[in-house]
Amino acid sequence: MPPIRMWKPEDFRLDPSRPLYEQFVEQVRAMIARGELEPGTRLPSVREAAASLRVNPTTIMKTYQELERLGLIVTHRGQGTFVTEDEAAIGSSRRELAREAVARLEETARSIGLSLDQLLALAREKE
Amino acid sequence: MADMRYPDFNIPIVAATKAPAIRCVDVTLRVKKKLVLDGVSFEIPAGSLAGLLGPNGAGKSSLMRILTGMFPPDSGRAELFCAPAGPERLGVLSFLPDRGQLPPYLGAGEWLRLAAGLYPDWSEARMEELIVKLDVDRGQRIGSMSRGQEARLQLLTCLSRQAPIIILDEPFAGVDMVSRESIAQAVVGELADGERTFLIATHDIREMENLFDRIVLIGEGRMLGCHDVEALRAGGRSVESCYRDVFA
Repeated sequence: MPPIRMWKPEDFRLDPSRPLYEQFVEQVRAMIARGELEPGTRLPSVREAAASLRVNPTTIMKTYQELERLGLIVTHRGQGTFVTEDEAAIGSSRRELAREAVARLEETARSIGLSLDQLLALAREKE
Repeated sequence: MADMRYPDFNIPIVAATKAPAIRCVDVTLRVKKKLVLDGVSFEIPAGSLAGLLGPNGAGKSSLMRILTGMFPPDSGRAELFCAPAGPERLGVLSFLPDRGQLPPYLGAGEWLRLAAGLYPDWSEARMEELIVKLDVDRGQRIGSMSRGQEARLQLLTCLSRQAPIIILDEPFAGVDMVSRESIAQAVVGELADGERTFLIATHDIREMENLFDRIVLIGEGRMLGCHDVEALRAGGRSVESCYRDVFA
């Protein structure tokens, strides 16, 4: 059985005025996308994660439920929770993250009257 | 499952998890002529980790004393699992009083043996687990402990019982950062079983705001709000900003 990847409060940046589970989902998704959490990594139990991060266990429970719904983690009864080894699921999550990032950037471009291409071209222009 | 019971108390677990663990209805208390609590009403569902927040003199400790059966309210009802709070309900709750003191002449281990004999719901297994988690040295004399060490021993005493309701009055007051962290961690570890309910009075919003799932705000003896914390955050507010809006 692979060793558990334990979390410390420093591993996450939390904004106290946004739902915490949403932020954990985003940040764990990013860890998986950039390969910091490798496929098959064993995650701490809800109780262990809540205690080491000093958050309410319900928050971790909701985080795991959402990550499971996204197909990024799997729970094997009696063995624990693991990062999925399904490369297709990880790939589609990365694609989704990329789309979301582009959508945010397009929004920024629109707010200053530019298309996405114009925004990138302008940012790369030399003085 | 239906006939599992907490040892030594007659509370069926099934009933205990459905009823609100704590309910106050219009609780009013006068001390001499002063109105200390003025129509306080709220509910804490079983399995919650609730914060009781408010400035000094808001009535938090008085409310906790009513819930722990030290005195009854002048009017209104304070209930634990739907039965009135009072000395006969002491078995369902474990209380850590504000500025409580343990006998200074005892060693930590001697105190724990004494406590084990005192409480019918004491769990040796839980105590052993918590001694490690809270890093308590059995050989140390209580009189020679720092505030943080004594606070950890008090919490250890409180959590080694199996009572389903835990009430902590300012568990962090004067406690160093490392002790705060291990106290917060022990509280979460206990909660994850889902069978215990915590009500914690604190000023220390920063240390605890990620832990609470519900907050009860009182000021000058009056109820100033009772919120589901994730619902607050979904509306873009933090526990701290809510506290400031109410009290600043």
